Amino acid sequence: MQKKLIVILLVLSGSLALSGCLEDFQVTLHEPGVYMGPSDPLLETSQTAALADRLNTGQTDR
Amino acid sequence: MARMKFLCDAERCIECNSCVTACKNENEVPWGVNRRRVVVLGDGEPGEKSISVACMHCTDAPCAAVCPVDCFYTTDDGIVLHDKDLCIGCGYCFYACPFGAPQYPQEQAFGVRGKMDKCTFCAGGPLPDNTDAEYTKYGRNRISEGKLPLCAEMCATKALIAGDGDTIADIYRERVLQRGTRPQTWGWETAYPSG
Repeated sequence: MQKKLIVILLVLSGSLALSGCLEDFQVTLHEPGVYMGPSDPLLETSQTAALADRLNTGQTDR
Repeated sequence: MARMKFLCDAERCIECNSCVTACKNENEVPWGVNRRRVVVLGDGEPGEKSISVACMHCTDAPCAAVCPVDCFYTTDDGIVLHDKDLCIGCGYCFYACPFGAPQYPQEQAFGVRGKMDKCTFCAGGPLPDNTDAEYTKYGRNRISEGKLPLCAEMCATKALIAGDGDTIADIYRERVLQRGTRPQTWGWETAYPSG
């Protein structure tokens, strides 16, 4: 009776110890987060046309 | 919407370093930090080539992907900027960047790093445009004035061009057609030289 109890205890403690060896097969994929800082005032104005003009006049001459 | 990019034509760059000097001067870049640098390939050998390298303002920026405090943002024109108040100077972005763009000023003794500093495409940072605070922290904001980065605007040989990616690609394509060949700084003939 006592032997049985010891065997049961050993099996239980063994399975409990081995459960720590389980591997999580979920792959961690990092997604870039959302910007956490204050908004840049530059985002509210668009200089796209002015910059395109500047590029065409200043950097395409030769 | 434009996607702002730099392009350095290796056939035109003469390693004068004026882009580096212009950047340092315009943005009062701290000692020990170079937002832009000229890299020479095959230095001293016949046919050496130079290219000017800074932050390339990647469309899918790896620096932003690895930042643990999410201090990066991209403007509508595709310029990658960051907030120095959020930056913790961990250096992850430096390891992630394929161009070595992020730089760190030495803050204290024993090499303690400060906040990350990099090329802003002369677009400042997340502070009111053209204020002293913005200038001190991020440098000049030329974009808000409708001007392109000074490094490209003052390049004497027009090797370094900055602007909308489609437009500068057209400029470069035209040059290649005029020359009749692509520059062989890299590419097939560099990887597999004849003989």
